[in-house]
Amino acid sequence: MTLLQRIKNAVRKRSIHICYVNTGSCNGCDIEILACLSPRYDIEQYGIYVHNNPREADVILITGAMSAQWIDKLPDLWDRVPGPKAAVTIGNCPISGCAFNRPGSLIDPPVSKYIPVAAAIPGCPPRPTEIISAILNVADTLFENYEIKSRGKKP
Amino acid sequence: MKKVVDVSLPIGPVHPCFKEPARIKCETCGERVIATEVELGYVKKGIEKIMVGRPWQETIFLAERVCGICSVVHNTAIVGALEKISSIAVPPRAMYLRIILNELDRMQSHLLANYSYCYTIEHETLAMYLLNLRETIMDAIEIMTGTRIMAAYVVPGGVREDISAATADAVRAATFHIETELPRFVKMFETGPMIALRSKGIGILSVEDAKKSGVVGPMARASGIPCDARDQVPLYQELGWHMITRSEGDNFARIMLRFDELFQSASIIKNALAALPSGPVRLGGRVVSGRCRNVIEAPRGNLTYDIAVDEVGRVISVAIQTPSIMNVEVGSHAMMRNLASIADVTATFISTDPCIACAER
Amino acid sequence: MGVAAYIREFARFDWLKKFFTAKTAPLASPLHFHGFPELTSTECTNCLKCRMICPAPGAIEIVQRRDGKWEPQIVPGHCFRCGYCVEICPEEVLTSGDILVKRREQNLAFTHEFEVMVDTNFCMGCGNCCTACPVNREIDPGMGAGGTSTTDTVLMRIVGGRNTVQHNDLCKGCKVCEDTCPNGAMHVVRRVEAVQKEGC
Repeated sequence: MTLLQRIKNAVRKRSIHICYVNTGSCNGCDIEILACLSPRYDIEQYGIYVHNNPREADVILITGAMSAQWIDKLPDLWDRVPGPKAAVTIGNCPISGCAFNRPGSLIDPPVSKYIPVAAAIPGCPPRPTEIISAILNVADTLFENYEIKSRGKKP
Repeated sequence: MKKVVDVSLPIGPVHPCFKEPARIKCETCGERVIATEVELGYVKKGIEKIMVGRPWQETIFLAERVCGICSVVHNTAIVGALEKISSIAVPPRAMYLRIILNELDRMQSHLLANYSYCYTIEHETLAMYLLNLRETIMDAIEIMTGTRIMAAYVVPGGVREDISAATADAVRAATFHIETELPRFVKMFETGPMIALRSKGIGILSVEDAKKSGVVGPMARASGIPCDARDQVPLYQELGWHMITRSEGDNFARIMLRFDELFQSASIIKNALAALPSGPVRLGGRVVSGRCRNVIEAPRGNLTYDIAVDEVGRVISVAIQTPSIMNVEVGSHAMMRNLASIADVTATFISTDPCIACAER
Repeated sequence: MGVAAYIREFARFDWLKKFFTAKTAPLASPLHFHGFPELTSTECTNCLKCRMICPAPGAIEIVQRRDGKWEPQIVPGHCFRCGYCVEICPEEVLTSGDILVKRREQNLAFTHEFEVMVDTNFCMGCGNCCTACPVNREIDPGMGAGGTSTTDTVLMRIVGGRNTVQHNDLCKGCKVCEDTCPNGAMHVVRRVEAVQKEGC
């Protein structure tokens, strides 16, 4: 591992910029992400910043169960995110469709059908503490040796 | 003919100040926004369709998941409709507990709405204060129901579990904390010169427009229309509820009205805890066939459930009318026209407290 | 005056004290929070009541371990954490938050009755429900793949190309037939009432 790579690893895990995308959730997970911003939980002290702009994001947090409108838009949005990038899903909906995955509904879970998902946080909705500890757990390995891992893959 | 519109500018669906996806198309002339159009439809899931053919214990969970911010009120509305159909009696203690939880839910929803507004006008200090204050309420809800949101606390014939004396004390302490902390923030909002520049006289909704478009909830009350479904509930009158209205109808009035309602909700909770009768909290009751319409006051306005049930307790059809659809639509028709800048469009839109998940389901 | 309110806000002793000594809340859930249901040491009797009341699709499975004991398994990506399974379980096999404590203190219970209904307009007699039904499997392990059975002690079987319910009282309300039916013809009608037992 080169020195440059080591510096990149060290920097990337301490500064993560987040954009959250609501692909048809009920708001519950979105306001739990907002609660992470509050001084009680203070997600910024861990070096995680919420910008909500896909073009400057490293990690996109996906809530919701893929409603019909998002099926073409989410892969588009994923292409706009500059590398290195990862997708983390929040809540049950992106995993299984939660309560909405019933015959006759207009959703098409899981999200991993459309974009590669690095980690998933179950819960309906997960507590802010669960969200923060899950993101902190994956933060160390999410972008580790990103260039080496992605070698040979399509950029 | 002279070209009036320079650029048609889209805002969203993913935008820093939106919690949910919506798109606002702005037709601009220079910096001035001539007209706007709100485009919805990003989170349509078809909840009413999948409620059909299910018993109450599944339907209340689907009703809660219509909206994550005001989940308690959806739960109360659908259970209230089922109780009206089957004439199930609710024990008095359960009625009081429902009111306490509903008011806690209203408080957290109003605090979140005011947080979003302050965040949108880039007053992040006040926004974070309000968001931190909201955590107090969320703790009270959590200690009462066991979950922060989507607790399924209200069931036909009562509530799910009783509260202990320690829980009542925790809820009382939370409301006391709000009552002591919030006045400072209200004063900061009321007297802030920059806030006044960004919110006073912007996005005015006149009484005529409000009446024509059928606006409900805090939006209507901020424009001077007394419209609140709580005036039909005698228990609210006993607990000291009264109609709050303001006359200005601009962004500032809407936010201040929510602050006023926060204090009122806190006092209702205190009165309810003081007058809490003893007795059982859930008595059960069979859901029988029938059809009825139930209107209750959500944090954003009148919420209507029209529900029909067959003889074995399954839902035949359900129609939900949420307040957000009127409140969002009136924005583009009356409030977000001829604004001075693009920044006012998002501020005005957020001041209506839009809940897109409610509006589309 | 507006600016004075701001200066007064930040010059308070409380504010300064909080600013320098603020601590983040620990990243742990409180004890009364309803987490994912966990197993206690008591043994499951395979009464399937948890499956009956579970509102989430595919959230709970009752599996038989190698040693023949039954065990409920919660699927995290599907479970709502509502705690209904904890509240209804007669053996207290599952626990989550303070539900069990509150249930004992306040005598919380659910009454329930259920009935299997076959929509004859949709039933095409494939027999998937009969072979999947856990009650049928216990009574007649040699049931034919088309849902035909030689004995009429089973819950339901295919007779003359139609699904006929033989013994409604055997039903445990587990909704397996609803899940396996390709046409949506099966309905387990569940009437649940949330009650509080007096005294006892």
